[in-house]
Amino acid sequence: MTAYIIRRLLYLVPIVMGVLLVTFCLFTLVGGDISQQIAGKNADAETIAEIRHEYGFDKPLFLAWDSQFLDHFKKAFTFNFGRALDREKIGEKILRGVGPSLALTVPMFLGTLVISISFSLIVAFLRGTVWDHIIVFLCVAGMSIPYLSFIIFGQYYFAYKLDWFPIFYDPSRPIYLSIILPALIGIVAGLGSSLRFYRTIMLDEIRSDYVRTAFAKGLTSRKVLFKHVLKNAMIPIVTNTVLSIPYLILGSLLLERFFGIPGLGYLMIEAINARDFFVLNAMTFIMALLIAFFTLVTDVCYAWVDPRVKFD
Amino acid sequence: MNGFIKTYRIVLLFVLCLLTLCIPGCSEKDNGGKSDEMVLRHRMGTKLQTLDAGNMRGVYSMMVGGQIYETLYTFHFLKRPYELIPQLADGMPEISDDHLTYIIRIKKGVLFQDDPCFPNGKGRELKAQDFVYSLKRIANIKYASQNWYSFKDKIVGLDAFREYTKQFKSESEVDYGREVQGVKALDDYMIQIILNKPWPQMIETIFADNMSSPMAKEAVGCYGKDIIRHPVGTGAYRLKTWQRGSYIELVKNENWRGELYPTEGGPGDEEAGYLDDAGKSVPFADRLIWRVIEEDQPAWLLFMRGEIDGMGIPKDNFNEAVKLENREVTDEMKDRGISLKHFDDPSVFWIGFNMQDPILGKNKPLRKALSRAFDREHFIDLFLNGRGHVAHGFVAPGLDSYDPEIKKYGYSKYDLQQAGQLLEEAKKIHGGPIPKLTLAMPGTDTFSKQYGQFIQRQFQKIEIELEVNYMDWPTYMAELNKGQLQLFSSGVSASYPDAIDFLTLFGTKYFAPGGNKFFYSNPDFDALLEKAEVMFPASERLELYRTMERMVMEDYPAVFTSHRISYILHHSWYKNYKPHVFSYGLSKYRNIDLADRNGYKRKLKALKKKDQ
Repeated sequence: MTAYIIRRLLYLVPIVMGVLLVTFCLFTLVGGDISQQIAGKNADAETIAEIRHEYGFDKPLFLAWDSQFLDHFKKAFTFNFGRALDREKIGEKILRGVGPSLALTVPMFLGTLVISISFSLIVAFLRGTVWDHIIVFLCVAGMSIPYLSFIIFGQYYFAYKLDWFPIFYDPSRPIYLSIILPALIGIVAGLGSSLRFYRTIMLDEIRSDYVRTAFAKGLTSRKVLFKHVLKNAMIPIVTNTVLSIPYLILGSLLLERFFGIPGLGYLMIEAINARDFFVLNAMTFIMALLIAFFTLVTDVCYAWVDPRVKFD
Repeated sequence: MNGFIKTYRIVLLFVLCLLTLCIPGCSEKDNGGKSDEMVLRHRMGTKLQTLDAGNMRGVYSMMVGGQIYETLYTFHFLKRPYELIPQLADGMPEISDDHLTYIIRIKKGVLFQDDPCFPNGKGRELKAQDFVYSLKRIANIKYASQNWYSFKDKIVGLDAFREYTKQFKSESEVDYGREVQGVKALDDYMIQIILNKPWPQMIETIFADNMSSPMAKEAVGCYGKDIIRHPVGTGAYRLKTWQRGSYIELVKNENWRGELYPTEGGPGDEEAGYLDDAGKSVPFADRLIWRVIEEDQPAWLLFMRGEIDGMGIPKDNFNEAVKLENREVTDEMKDRGISLKHFDDPSVFWIGFNMQDPILGKNKPLRKALSRAFDREHFIDLFLNGRGHVAHGFVAPGLDSYDPEIKKYGYSKYDLQQAGQLLEEAKKIHGGPIPKLTLAMPGTDTFSKQYGQFIQRQFQKIEIELEVNYMDWPTYMAELNKGQLQLFSSGVSASYPDAIDFLTLFGTKYFAPGGNKFFYSNPDFDALLEKAEVMFPASERLELYRTMERMVMEDYPAVFTSHRISYILHHSWYKNYKPHVFSYGLSKYRNIDLADRNGYKRKLKALKKKDQ
């Protein structure tokens, strides 16, 4: 197991290098020079040249010790991403956004997970009945409605009309008050696809011989579903769950924007709109690291949930 | 299984009960603090970039920065036409006979706000040297201020100072003690400015603009690059909280010297209640709050809930707020006590032609045909909800030199028949059919796309094919400045009440990256511009401005489309909300009727009952 983990960690090195190369090409070569944008609408050539110098855009791209490419590597490996276009430190921006993003996405994720797994067990058990059909219909309907519609309706009806929740994030009040509604909207909007996914997994398991045997032995439904079916369905659940974790940190782009949650989703949208490649670059790199790391965690978890999995 | 489902139902019921109990406690009670505290609450449509005065250019930076920093001069809050008055200056400047030397005295006893950058944290007195330092800082190339273009070639010795700064590696290494002949502190309270040539708009351009607000050298030294979020000013308010990207809060600056609300205003101000507070001490509000709300829906809902005091009208809510037939607020708004203000924004928008383009530049009939084919009134109705005037020229209404007779010249006439005839002429000049033209739109949002398609349809009416490229802003700007765009959608708003701001857009010496993005060049116009730029306000100048405007219009360097009319809604408790298009530091004059505001929730409940 240890050897396997070490081997997988070593695999991360070329992956990270590849990511750095791709982000460099994407943001530096394809993205183009953003010095004019920083210098302002009416800046003269001198000011633009000065900005180019300040941000290192006048350095050689590859073939030099102080090339832009090596700078790019240096910044990534030291986690010192420099300053964003608005001259704020990128590290500070990211750290500030992680908390609010997680405050929104973790309850959303857990809520969706718990509800969809529980309901998927029930509907798998009730497969072919009216309840199964109704739930599948609702899932498909939920999946067909655009995410934005859930947000607009939820905000208008539950926050404005019924006055149950704050319309928008208010820093003078605890953040949990501002995230309840967006989290609920996120759960409802994500439930359709999630429930359908888990229902399919549960159906595969529930049709197995060992389930029939368990019921024949006289075990209770609860015991069969939670002890046997759920345990055997854990591999796809673990894969789906662990690989979702990096995206929790990234936050929810639309929900954060509509409810003013100052998280990383909001930061990403702002950076995209402002063509702030410094921020986008840092976020892409961090995401790549997280995804690579959690892929490894997923593989390790397989052995934990399924004793048949061996690391050779 | 039945037992299993039963257990589940119980759990679900429990969760629902818990939610029902929690939910009423989640709603917003009041975010304006205590009910007896006077708080102004605003929306900010995009995040604030900087609070470093020397590099401020965006509207939102000015809106917030204008409360923290002060300028030597400002525009009177109420009087129209706009009148310059001293703010930090002690009287109007003394100007030499040759209009080259300005002596400006500054008020004594003005203090910077308290800040840890000062000894013992106590704000020191403002001195003339602070202004000199702030201007030199903008000239410092290592600082790379966005505002340098306003100063270039204008002040004796300042360009040389900029050259001198090139040798250093960073902003802080520069010796600000180095003498600049044109910017001097004659003593602690007297500034001398010497110009290269007369500059009649200098006070409006520089000394009534936040960019020239005095910065304390100690603050810049103390905070370095982080000065963008540590503003240290002399204004009525100081920064308390800035949660970047979401929330800004200012509180009263205890060191502010105080001021009285104006006792004189413009015509109709007394009847409108703008003089109700005449002679009272300002500022009225204890705190100023801006919430960054980029989406229109939450901003609109917060406004309707009474949690934002005033805001512009989102396009999608226009019909809900304003009756189209008489441009008054709807009954629903009236019931809520919401009022509407509209005023001419000194702006002009256009579809510009690149005059260096081989197809457009040498073909005036083609440019004229495109102008004739564009239905401006339809555009204003469709895209601006009627919130605009047809642009018959490019000088915006509301400015002194706006020519009320400009319409009669017919530059913006919508005439498809004439457009067709002109196109035939254009084809002869071109030597065949006009090839497909390309228009650049500075955005990829829905508005840009709809507008791009609208322009396409307009030109199709005379069988001109148009390809539209939707670009992000930086790419658009880069290509525009390099003269790589054939047609482009753009616009500009005057930053001070003088049409020279618009006229310079067509001077050869202002070719992009300067203001002339059309690359329009007309030696006769240039000669008049040289003359106009050094002329002080007089009837002769007015005539000259109008002649120059017509000269440009005759050449059709653009399809000038509209001048914007701004519409603002505000609640009944928001007092002294007189629109002002050139000054930003006006929050100190705004007042709140607390009883009215505190009764708004009751009003909403009563309206709800009435609806039921």
